[in-house]
Amino acid sequence: MSTLKADTIQNTSGGAVTLTKQSAAKFWININQITFVVADSFNNSSNTDDGAGLTTCSFVSSMNNSDYNFSANRSGNTGNTNGFLAERTSQTTSSISVSSKFFDTSSISVADTSALCASTHGDLA
Amino acid sequence: MSTILVDNLTGKTSAGSITVTSEGGAATQSLQQGLIKVWASIKGTGTVSTRDSVNQSSVTDHGTGAYSSNFTSAMSNDDFVGSISNTLDDGVNSNGQSSCIENNSTDPEFTTTTARVVTENTAYNNNDSPYVGITVIGDLA
Repeated sequence: MSTLKADTIQNTSGGAVTLTKQSAAKFWININQITFVVADSFNNSSNTDDGAGLTTCSFVSSMNNSDYNFSANRSGNTGNTNGFLAERTSQTTSSISVSSKFFDTSSISVADTSALCASTHGDLA
Repeated sequence: MSTILVDNLTGKTSAGSITVTSEGGAATQSLQQGLIKVWASIKGTGTVSTRDSVNQSSVTDHGTGAYSSNFTSAMSNDDFVGSISNTLDDGVNSNGQSSCIENNSTDPEFTTTTARVVTENTAYNNNDSPYVGITVIGDLA
């Protein structure tokens, strides 16, 4: 077995190195929308409370374009007949905006959750 | 183009920290922090089992529609990002089937070694799902 020890890896031109068949998340966050406290994050500079269930998360390093992959999940109290959803409301090169919802078969509500998890995959600028 | 063939990558100054340059060249970012630390495709009906996974030692069946993914290597804290996906097993029903990180009064959502999730049916009651997808991103211990 061989081990390469390095602090920084670049390609021969000083750019991004290719990791065979691998891709890394460029941003992730676990935030409590109720207390508005970030549990943990990566590449997150700040967050804005846009109202009940609505949060905008800004990046330290920007994405290369706004076509990146974005996913989000939320926690939910499953002791009732509600479904739970966290979805994108907008995404730019420097931030994402997320809406956290719960619903039943007849109505849907936007509301804060104790654990909103979101991540992005794509190219950094 | 040059290629390095190697089995392990370790930070020289700090074993757990390797910096990579961004695709556009404008920034650098930690390699380790961006990697997915756990993923699993779980058969959640009948006898619950794992189809394929990375860093998952086992899956626990907590009853109808409730599962825990148990990790081989522990996370450094319970503040990681967890994603959960469900499967629509009734194509004629117009309602979606929800899935979420389970938040109840007795069990922790996440621990350093587990992620607890729930899948629901179209009436939003707990329901076993044929394909449960779990992904964890965060810091390993």
